[in-house]
Amino acid sequence: TAGNKILHFGACRVSVSMAEIRVGFTAIKANIQARDPIRTLSILSYPHSLHKVNSSDRCCITHHLFNFYVDKVFKHCKTEDSYVNRKISSIANSFLSMKRKLEQCHEQNRCECGRESTEKFKQILANYEGLNVTSAAMKSLGELDILLDWME
Amino acid sequence: EEALLPAPQNISILSTNMKHFLTWSPVIIQGETVRYSVEFQGEYERVYANESWIPISECSLITATACNITEDISATVAYNLRVRADLGARRSEWGTLKGFFNRNTTSLTPPVMKVIADGYHLLLELEDMGPAFQFRVLYWKKGQERRMQQKVVKEVSSVVHLDTMEAGAEYCVKAQSYVEDINRSSSFSQTQCVRAQGDTSMWL
Repeated sequence: TAGNKILHFGACRVSVSMAEIRVGFTAIKANIQARDPIRTLSILSYPHSLHKVNSSDRCCITHHLFNFYVDKVFKHCKTEDSYVNRKISSIANSFLSMKRKLEQCHEQNRCECGRESTEKFKQILANYEGLNVTSAAMKSLGELDILLDWME
Repeated sequence: EEALLPAPQNISILSTNMKHFLTWSPVIIQGETVRYSVEFQGEYERVYANESWIPISECSLITATACNITEDISATVAYNLRVRADLGARRSEWGTLKGFFNRNTTSLTPPVMKVIADGYHLLLELEDMGPAFQFRVLYWKKGQERRMQQKVVKEVSSVVHLDTMEAGAEYCVKAQSYVEDINRSSSFSQTQCVRAQGDTSMWL
């Protein structure tokens, strides 16, 4: 199936259900992005795109971003639309499952954090905290395809 | 004050080949139609979202005693499920599934398959079991089990060409399904054998 993706981070291999996440996100993307009035600002891509991250830092950045979405973003994305909430739950539980797998890499020291990934993640947090929490969470959720594209 | 409606009982999951159904016993009120509503809670909701529950709209105020929860059980984590009954203004307590449900416990069956000898070509038709499924196919020339070959079929879109057969020889095939999301396989299917066209004496 085109479903799963084996992400290789140096010595670490993580099987990720990308297709399921993309199906869930695609179903609500327009709805979520319509709730984000400030389209000129980006949480993940300002000032630099994720694609500029060094390959040796990919594992650490991915680990940070899973934690970011699970710990900070999804809980502030509740909407009045039951269908959207169900899809957000689907994505959040998939992220939680992947976060667990990546934690194993991190614990086995196969997911080093260099200066670049630390700086990049600080910038993402600064972008996030520069907005009110609901706007920041909705914007981050709306940028999920940026993360998925970068991961693939 | 009207008696509280009894909560649904015997709540259980039927899960086969990554299709998951919540079922329960009906609440019987003579001459009345009782309706049911289902909610789920993933591990994310339990750990990070104040143990919140999410309603399944397709299973809100239904009269059936089963709900297809496949679309909502879309991660390999532990889920809680509950159902309650409604009758007019009367409403029951929630009946909750005993224990969690994780889709990695789904029961997997071997694929339905059809082996075809098309002249000298060994072909295989496989059942489409859904996007989560891959198949591991083993095939061999009868009597040469030690030279068994394998093919992994990731997407079932058309007939699979397995091999070009020797004239008149008999070839056998068996297959198992595999789900990468839960990293589990089914048992193997029954073995099916077919014979290639032509006369074996051609090879003597």
